[in-house]
Amino acid sequence: MKTDEQRDLFPGALEMMILRTLKRQPLHGYALAQHIKRTSHDLLQIEEGSLYPALQRLLKEELVKAEWATSSTNRRVRIYKVTAAGTKHLEREVSRFKRMLEGITRVLARGES
Amino acid sequence: MNWLKQLFSRRRLYGDLSAEIQAHLEEKMEELVGNGMSRKEAESAARREFGNVTLMKEESHNVWRWSFIENLLSDVRYGLRILFGNPGFSIVAILTIALGIGANTAIFSVVYAALIRPLPYSQPGRLITLTEVRPQEGQAAGANSQSWVSAYPDYLDWTRQGKSFQALAGFSGDGFVLHGAGEPEPIFAAQATVNFFSTLGVRPFLGRDFAAGEDIAAGPKVAILSYGSWIRRFGGDLHILGRSIQLDDKSVSIIGVLPRAFEFAPRGNAEIWVPLHIEKDLVTRRSLRWMPVIGRLAETSTQGQAQAEMNSITANLAAAYPQENGAIRVVLVPLRDRIVGQVQPLLLILFGAVGFVLLIACANVMSLFLVRTAGRRREFNIRAALGASRGRLISQLLAESLILAAAGGLLGLILAEWGTSLLIAAIPDTLLAFAPFLRDAHTNLAVLAFLCVAVIFTGIAFGLAPALQISRGQEGEALKEETRASAGGVRTRLRGVLVVAEIAFSLVLLIGSGLMVKSLTALLSRDPGFDAKNLLAFAVNLPPTSYPKDPDAIRFDKEFTERLRALPGIAGAASNSVVPLTGNGASIRFVIEGQPVAKGHENECNIRDVSNNYFSVMKIPLRAGRLFDDFTDSSTAPQHVIVNEAWAKQYLHGQDPIGKRIKFTYSPKENYREIVGIVGNTADAGLDSPEEPSLFLPFSQDTNSFINYVVRTGSNPESAVGEVRASLHAVDPQLVLIQPFTMDQIIAQSPSVFLRRYPSYLIGSFAALALILAMIGLYGLVSYSVSQRTRELGIRIALGAQQKDVMHLVLGEGARLTLLGVIFGLLAALGLTQLMRSLLFGVSALDPVTFASVAVVLALVAVVACCIPARRAMRTDPAAALRYE
Repeated sequence: MKTDEQRDLFPGALEMMILRTLKRQPLHGYALAQHIKRTSHDLLQIEEGSLYPALQRLLKEELVKAEWATSSTNRRVRIYKVTAAGTKHLEREVSRFKRMLEGITRVLARGES
Repeated sequence: MNWLKQLFSRRRLYGDLSAEIQAHLEEKMEELVGNGMSRKEAESAARREFGNVTLMKEESHNVWRWSFIENLLSDVRYGLRILFGNPGFSIVAILTIALGIGANTAIFSVVYAALIRPLPYSQPGRLITLTEVRPQEGQAAGANSQSWVSAYPDYLDWTRQGKSFQALAGFSGDGFVLHGAGEPEPIFAAQATVNFFSTLGVRPFLGRDFAAGEDIAAGPKVAILSYGSWIRRFGGDLHILGRSIQLDDKSVSIIGVLPRAFEFAPRGNAEIWVPLHIEKDLVTRRSLRWMPVIGRLAETSTQGQAQAEMNSITANLAAAYPQENGAIRVVLVPLRDRIVGQVQPLLLILFGAVGFVLLIACANVMSLFLVRTAGRRREFNIRAALGASRGRLISQLLAESLILAAAGGLLGLILAEWGTSLLIAAIPDTLLAFAPFLRDAHTNLAVLAFLCVAVIFTGIAFGLAPALQISRGQEGEALKEETRASAGGVRTRLRGVLVVAEIAFSLVLLIGSGLMVKSLTALLSRDPGFDAKNLLAFAVNLPPTSYPKDPDAIRFDKEFTERLRALPGIAGAASNSVVPLTGNGASIRFVIEGQPVAKGHENECNIRDVSNNYFSVMKIPLRAGRLFDDFTDSSTAPQHVIVNEAWAKQYLHGQDPIGKRIKFTYSPKENYREIVGIVGNTADAGLDSPEEPSLFLPFSQDTNSFINYVVRTGSNPESAVGEVRASLHAVDPQLVLIQPFTMDQIIAQSPSVFLRRYPSYLIGSFAALALILAMIGLYGLVSYSVSQRTRELGIRIALGAQQKDVMHLVLGEGARLTLLGVIFGLLAALGLTQLMRSLLFGVSALDPVTFASVAVVLALVAVVACCIPARRAMRTDPAAALRYE
């Protein structure tokens, strides 16, 4: 459950992080969740479950693809890979995000002085 | 085709997802157990970190589907199941809505046909009517917005000089005896300038339009049939063109048939159109205003510009013809306003009234809905606890209310079909002929669109408030048992507001119908100035070939009336150029000896040509002087006039008129005529019209070939028609009895009576419906509150409250709501009845008697409605009530 102190991510943020993570290395759902948690040092409190709707969206847009495989723990898992379209989408989204962040940062910096 | 593939692979997708989420949770648990947690702890920790599994699955599924539509479908499926599971509630709700929507749709069909649908002409908005008015007409036709006449020579000048009109056309009524299509029969016709149809932008469906030069005084030689008469009288014969028919004594060739959709309300009863065929006086005299004119505005001009131009042409004509045109003004009115002007206020009032009925129906169903949703609170709390969003709960309830509304709408559509035909059937044929657009009132796309809007409005109106209320349930309370004490509070208050509104609305409708009924009664009991009982009216038209000169007509009249008087059941027969109460008739300009007026500014009043015994047959009282008689007022005797009291009052201001002399100014040859008598006033234009100044001339000195007869019978005048017709044929077998009606029929079919009777019935029915619904609402609320307060009542009784105290308690609650409703209703009625002032007659829009008596009646009915639950409350058994919880 979310509390007031945790903000919702903006739309598309989770997808962006998923794509970036999978770009480095194809992963299955659980590993993907752990990886994002670890990398973000638990700063972003994401319900693990919320990955799945996001993954479904990416699948539907054909930005990732999934294949059943056997994991290191000998479990049948679905491994997600970024497609070419996914790569392109990620680049575009990241550069848009950086621009947005820069804009916000500038405004905030001006406010402090 | 990607979506199609997705649609079919969805099952597999969902399966994959489930397996995947399951694997995720297991892997997590394994890891946690590996870290030393117990299996049970690990399982709940894994679920906590994962979030709501069902919701996540649901959201993941939503990615793959058209969630809006699919949610809707599932809501509808569930809603249907719920509604079928509770048929009593559903049937009551559906019937209530069906009545509301059905009544509204029926009225809308009529409103659409009359007010919204464009007239069936090309660019109807550019059609403007022109009329000449003279302020001197006083109370007569001129001051009346219905007047629509101009002089033919003026019309020709407008056509020649006007630039703001593309075309100007004129028309007039006409009538013939038709030979050559079955039995000889009098038919209504119309005559028009040859450019009439092209000005409207209408082309005949068969054959051709009139051509230049076909409008000759000796005509008509050609005719165009209306579609209806082509079908009815000529069997829709496609080879009709060129066929000859006989109109009166003239042979006329059919040159065209008008399209089926053609209608022209001002001459709505015309079966045959012929080119203008008018005699010398009507063509040349500027003082004879008789022709209605329609103009089509030029592309570049506006009505304002056209008015300015007509003003300047009129000023020039006034300078050129000071005697005839000195006081003439030209008034422009859009054709649409002239056609629907009279029914517009009536229809809008009916539309408003029926809208109230729908609001009351909504309030009632909403009240039912509130009670029912209250009973389902637990169901919704559980759904909320399982992760249903507020939006889903609202959409679920809205789906249910919209299903009910749609079912009600469907049933309402059937009611509306039936209601519309009832609405049209209730209009007298003679009036319907002049509102042909109403025949077009039926279900069409516009009506269906209205129905859909009404359904959606209704569904949301009664579904939204309960939906918002139920979805506002706090999560903390989610699974607790409903607590009795507080639960009903808000809902009962809202229902109270609804009942107050229902009572207020129905009071407004009741007052409206009370005022209408009172107007109708006042109108029907108005003394028309003559005895309308046992009176038969009809007309005879003498064709000029057989009756070329005035003495021929006088001879006919004498012989015919003598025959009539000889009939056993007939007390008297007389004639007048105008049938009273029909609103027809001519006016004339005059000067009074010794009262000089500026040239062209003479007074103008009604003129009637009456037979010598007219006043005695009609039982119109003689106030002073004498009536006409056969010896002193023969055709060769000195010319005398009789005036009515209104005339004496308006023009002589109380002086004695007898012996005064007046002169008509249309011709320099006119001499002074002496006033020999004053008679009582009569209602000429209709029962609601003011008493107009009139002059009477003896028929023998001012003869017409079209004579209106009135016959006083001993008993039912309708049964005399056969004998009267036989007498007519005995005098001249080729003559036809035109429009035989009893005076009672004429009154019943008159616009003035219709305009009160129709809304009396309709608003009356709406008000009755509204009252029933409001009382059901009140009864339902009070019963509900009694059942909610069983325990409280039980305690009160146990503590010694008497039956009458309990009764007061319950009745007090109902009385409070009723009183509030009555107060709001009276306040609303104060404003709203002002809107119906144009329909009222002989009663003020704020008539205190109506307001007070209706409020009292409503209050009494309300008390009765509350008595039933109050009796139940009185019989509360304290022991049972206290054991109840």
